[in-house]
Amino acid sequence: MFDLNVPIASSFLGLNNAKKSNKGKQPVVGNALQYTGPQIAVIEARVDLLIHLGYTAIAFNQTVNKKVDPKTHVNILDILLKQLKPRKEIVYMKRLTIILDEDSEKGFGLINAQTSLFNSYDLISLVPTNQATLALACLTHSLPSPLTAHIISIPLTLPRLPFNLKHTLVRTAIKNGAVFEINYVGAVGGDNDTTMTDANAAENGASAKRNWWGAARELTRVTKGKGLIVSSGAVADLDFRAPDDVKNLITLLGVSQDISHCSVTKSPKSLVLRAQTRKTYRAVLSEPQLVVPDQQMEEAPESIPPAPMVTEDTANSKKRPRDEPSMASETDGSKRKKKKRGKEGGQR
Amino acid sequence: MVRFKNRWLLVEFIPLDQSKPTQSRLDSKQIWAALRDSIQENFGDVGWGCVSHSLTVKYFSPTTNLCIIRVAREHHRIARGGLTLLKSIDGIRLLPHVIDLTGTIKHAQLTAIEHNRRVVARFRARAGTSVSYHDSYDQYLETSNQEIQSLKD
Repeated sequence: MFDLNVPIASSFLGLNNAKKSNKGKQPVVGNALQYTGPQIAVIEARVDLLIHLGYTAIAFNQTVNKKVDPKTHVNILDILLKQLKPRKEIVYMKRLTIILDEDSEKGFGLINAQTSLFNSYDLISLVPTNQATLALACLTHSLPSPLTAHIISIPLTLPRLPFNLKHTLVRTAIKNGAVFEINYVGAVGGDNDTTMTDANAAENGASAKRNWWGAARELTRVTKGKGLIVSSGAVADLDFRAPDDVKNLITLLGVSQDISHCSVTKSPKSLVLRAQTRKTYRAVLSEPQLVVPDQQMEEAPESIPPAPMVTEDTANSKKRPRDEPSMASETDGSKRKKKKRGKEGGQR
Repeated sequence: MVRFKNRWLLVEFIPLDQSKPTQSRLDSKQIWAALRDSIQENFGDVGWGCVSHSLTVKYFSPTTNLCIIRVAREHHRIARGGLTLLKSIDGIRLLPHVIDLTGTIKHAQLTAIEHNRRVVARFRARAGTSVSYHDSYDQYLETSNQEIQSLKD
């Protein structure tokens, strides 16, 4: 069972927003940052509880407001994972969430130059807060690349959903492989991650629950249940719920039982797998093998292009492999057909 | 034919601090009241009306925090939802964890007995007592098994 949003506050390590006094001074050296004993104990207790409830794959989440500043950004989760004790059969993952608002429309650090910074995270997600950033997140950032943000987390506890969930945007995002996330902490009435509330992306309080039900229902209506994952987002230990209970909660939003089962099991699993494609070229996971057709065709071996070129062809995976121009003129129809089949057979 | 079908929910209320196995001071009436309040708050009078006639707390064990609740099959989802959205009972903060959802009382009993045994084993492991030491848990297991077996539909 997957819980893909266990927030870890940046304030744990004493790293605060750029507003604070650190700006002028030297950036803190990464090695010096460590979680203290009691902090680790708290996190270990939370993981114990999650395991007791039945979760086996946990993604720790670091939230950043507005944009990622390469100079001051520290991957707190790397430091955390080194200090947590390894558990059998439990998978830990690292996730980065970026809250987008009007200021981030111009750019928020998810650019090619900083790919190395983002490679240390297994999952990237975006929290759009207005129509423009939603469009950005759905269209530009869901395309396969080393910087795809696979998770789009809609803020569900805001008083009025700040944007219309346009059907076309949502459909495109899901077709590209992105996924929309529902955090159930809003329904249970727990507190959200402080970075989110500070950035006005979440609310705690009596009306938060009501907003959650409305917004979540709207989200399930637009996505029709496909491309949905559910995760906790809970900060307090007692706000977590067992995966079956969460499944039941999603059913109450009007989603049918099997789709809600998918959103708790299959969707997060395929999402995690898909997120691994960030480290590959253009979302190709397996390595294609060139199958040389048998030796009846003497000309064929010479005109078959060498292996690297074949790989590049398949890497533009959505397109069919084009015939090499050199082959086209030389051979006759039947041989070309055989070669084509041989090529395609190899790329399967 | 026109048999009245039920669902039996086995719920474990996880307290705030798991390491200290203290006796919980809850009882079944408080649980029923808290569940009723939760359903009324989240699903309104309509939701409570669906469930009210069939909702009963059949068994509760303060030592292992195990509760067996019976609801009608038609609207068991509402009851389970009300349970999930429950945060505290009588001021004590809890985490409701539904261990099992069965259609017959027989399987609910079996799961309950197994759960009790597992929790007692956990307590014993934490206390580090040796295998042959007979502590009060033995007697507790006896009495609780009898109580569970005597549950009727």
